[in-house]
Amino acid sequence: MTPVSSKLYADDVSLLMVLIDTNPYFWSSMNNNTSFTFSKFLSHVLAFLNSILLLNQMNQVVVIASGYNSCDYVFDSSTSSMQRAECLLEKLEDFVDKDESLSREESVDGVGFSLLSGSLSMALCYIQRVFRSGPLHPQPRILCLHGSPDGPGQYVAVMNSIFSAQRSMVPIDSCAIGSQHSAFLQQASYITGGVYLKPQVSDGLFQYLSTVFATDLHSRGFLQLPRPVGVDFRASCFCHKNTIDMGYICSVCLSIFCKHHKKCSTCGSNFGEARKQDPSASDQRR
Amino acid sequence: MPQVKIVARNFMDMVASLPTMKLDMLYDNSFICEAILRSLPPLAKKYVLQLLYIDKPISAKTMEEWVLPDGFSKHKVAIDRLIQLRVMTETYDRKKEATYQLNPKFQFNLQKHIVHGGVLPREPMPSNITVRLPSLEELEAYAAEQWECFLLHLISSSEAGKTTNMSSSMMKIFQRGLLSQRDDREPSRLTESGFQFLLMDTNAQLWYIIREYITNAEERGVDSADLIAFLLELSFHVTGKAYNINTLTDLQRSIIRDLSDLGLVKLQQGRKEGWFIPTKLATNLSISLADTTSRKQGFIVIETNFRLYAYSTSKLHCEILRLFARVEYQLPNLIVGAINKESFHVLSAVVIWMCGLQIISFLQQNAHPRVAERIPSVPENVTDQIRLWESDLNRVEMMPAHLYDEFPSKDVFEAACDFAREYGAFLWEDSKRMRLIVKADILNEMKEFLRRQKQ
Repeated sequence: MTPVSSKLYADDVSLLMVLIDTNPYFWSSMNNNTSFTFSKFLSHVLAFLNSILLLNQMNQVVVIASGYNSCDYVFDSSTSSMQRAECLLEKLEDFVDKDESLSREESVDGVGFSLLSGSLSMALCYIQRVFRSGPLHPQPRILCLHGSPDGPGQYVAVMNSIFSAQRSMVPIDSCAIGSQHSAFLQQASYITGGVYLKPQVSDGLFQYLSTVFATDLHSRGFLQLPRPVGVDFRASCFCHKNTIDMGYICSVCLSIFCKHHKKCSTCGSNFGEARKQDPSASDQRR
Repeated sequence: MPQVKIVARNFMDMVASLPTMKLDMLYDNSFICEAILRSLPPLAKKYVLQLLYIDKPISAKTMEEWVLPDGFSKHKVAIDRLIQLRVMTETYDRKKEATYQLNPKFQFNLQKHIVHGGVLPREPMPSNITVRLPSLEELEAYAAEQWECFLLHLISSSEAGKTTNMSSSMMKIFQRGLLSQRDDREPSRLTESGFQFLLMDTNAQLWYIIREYITNAEERGVDSADLIAFLLELSFHVTGKAYNINTLTDLQRSIIRDLSDLGLVKLQQGRKEGWFIPTKLATNLSISLADTTSRKQGFIVIETNFRLYAYSTSKLHCEILRLFARVEYQLPNLIVGAINKESFHVLSAVVIWMCGLQIISFLQQNAHPRVAERIPSVPENVTDQIRLWESDLNRVEMMPAHLYDEFPSKDVFEAACDFAREYGAFLWEDSKRMRLIVKADILNEMKEFLRRQKQ
């Protein structure tokens, strides 16, 4: 499959990768607390996709669903021509069924996490393929519509995706639709030069999307966009996946640990004896 | 007031220059709204989207707050464009502050589009009626062939006066301004704009032709707004699908027939019904009409020794190159030639005022991908030399003039000089020997003036 057949591009042509959170546990918790349901969310997103495709005939939109157990492409505007909504909903339904069948164990405590790292990597893979398709390609960007809490277990994978996006100059925009801020997404947008926004009123999601996230990369140079207020830079430790303020860092590979270890579990280098209660030895604040 | 000058450089400028009434009527058609939106500058598109669900007027001050100081000029251009196309209307409130509001029709149509997604202008015909539809490749080849045929016709009729298989009445219109014919016996020659036309890319050429077609339509008594509406609608049809010709009005049917000559649509006749199949040229219409920032795969390599290699099998390319280069030999997929002063001068004889910049930009636009990576893609010495040759040609300018001498007195001479200057026809004077050269245009006026001086 070739992503785009003809190559005629103005500077505002964009390839938008939209990652939507389909974590059922998150949405059921939203159902209980607010009136903002998944179907409402989808109608806002569909309108947004339509508007992106309306802005430029060369614009391309790819939607990736990040579920609880898996993630998958659910829509690609370069392959399906008309009846976008039907096409997307059908695929999304299939995806949700498959995602559900994958989850066997019943014991999910709390809201659970959605597979952000997986969908981010999928988006980046897609973008890499577009980059390699030829010298002329649309300007890619990633938009995360994410509500589930951050999964500390995905910390390393998410950070790697963020740095690879930074290297390939792909901004990650993020819109936190849940009740809490997301440290992962704050960092992602901060590092890649994207926009992080947590809408105050979720019922007006479309207006937020069209005002902030519809801005193509070319126009971002001239417009006032939300700037990061405070970014939560806290890291997760590699050993217990806890979010920590203070910890130990391997001086060779920069792996983070919450406790002192004798040997780095990532690169295998041997640590010396750390003197207790001495912050200058090998621990660092991040 | 809008600061963007209306020069009908592209389709949307033409739309913008339509009278208010007609423009508002155009917005009844949702496809036009869509095409207009896509033609806007990026920032303007953004504003429309942002204002789409806002029903109240927005003050100019609020909008100015959206932009960074750097982007203020872009903001101004965007706003002016929106007002010019009547997408947005400007009103002044009681405090004399400017407020903007979207055109309600435009707003409604786009809202509909965003909620329901795009719809097709008309349903394609079921495949059991249309038996043998051409494949996309065939269709593209057909369009390219038709278009090339049209361009070749331009060149060949200017050289040999050959006729091609195209219907000639429409051709006349399309070729108006590109070819000039001094009298019937002489074959028509390529004009300066005709030459420039050949060097443009396909989209720009298409636009030029469509513009001619629209201006001509007005002379034939066809409403240009209807024509524009249909052309834009056509661009939203799906390439390669068949559409029943009976769904069109009489006017649209005649337009379709004209456009099929150019390869924008392919007409086919079934047992009972006829149908038309839009080609890529037609569906690109709204793109090309908006902006011409498109690029095609190049094929020309030019070396510092002025040799030119063109990897092309197209007869048209060969003919175009022949216009300004000496083609030495031709292999099945390669044309080898050289640019030199002689070939350049031959060209200047054919085309009265030709432009070296045109040739350079043609070479740059069509640079082979291998060379296109280099900067500059055309070697500097070649571009410099082309400019020099051009200025060489323009060094001497000839114009008919008359020499006046033997003036009776210094006063008469001075008065005659001033008179000529007033008309802007003064060329040269020699005050010592009282001789004066004046352009031939005002010979009669000069005669009259001198006669009066004598009395």
